[in-house]
Amino acid sequence: MNILGIISRPPYQDSHDLELIEAAMVAAVFDMNVSLLFRDAGIWALLDNQDASPLEQRTLSKVLTALPAYEVENIYVCADSMDKYALSGQQFCLPIIALSLIEQQQLIAQQHAVLGAQA
Amino acid sequence: MIFTIAVHAPAYASGANHHALQFCEALLRAGHKIARVFFYHEGVYTALSTQVTPQGEKNALAHWQALAEKHHVELAVCIANAIKRGVLSESEQKRYEQGSITLAQPFELVGLGQLIDAIAHSDRYVEFPA
Repeated sequence: MNILGIISRPPYQDSHDLELIEAAMVAAVFDMNVSLLFRDAGIWALLDNQDASPLEQRTLSKVLTALPAYEVENIYVCADSMDKYALSGQQFCLPIIALSLIEQQQLIAQQHAVLGAQA
Repeated sequence: MIFTIAVHAPAYASGANHHALQFCEALLRAGHKIARVFFYHEGVYTALSTQVTPQGEKNALAHWQALAEKHHVELAVCIANAIKRGVLSESEQKRYEQGSITLAQPFELVGLGQLIDAIAHSDRYVEFPA
């Protein structure tokens, strides 16, 4: 069963990104086929070499690098968002697959459920 | 159809919490089933027992409690999200030696596995974000 988590909020403004990643990890423990899609300002969560200790928060890049241990290996990023923020895959803490909007639409259509809706 | 509903919005920050409640009522009126309502992120504040609603304002907690009582809908609150925000069941209040139990009845603190299990057994999963 396919489950997708969409991370689109900027990291560290609240605890939503971390709590969504935790939900994705638990879904993987329950044998779901879990994918994560980072888009909009959410892609900053993937930046390598973060240090959130001044914020007294857990460092998201360290949490994210644990995903392969949970067999969460489908990490997708919105190509348009990467262009918007001038970020490249080499700057990220995990290997990613960049997707066009059409490809994101196809990814979402393949899911049983999508976590991380935006108001 | 069987639905799992996730409520991410607290009661008084936006209309989303009330929309979730109305959506649940509409589902049940239409003959659908609700596997579980799962309160996540700031949505866990819905279950805070110490809310005092001013006269003339809607009492979100009472509405959710009425929904659960009338239709036997399970109101599940993410335990990890709840305890860090001060929503404590009797067992968590004892475990962390806090002064008060702040989880309203009939809400229950559960693990995230209960969300995933409900999604797996539902036809549709609908979130109400903040």
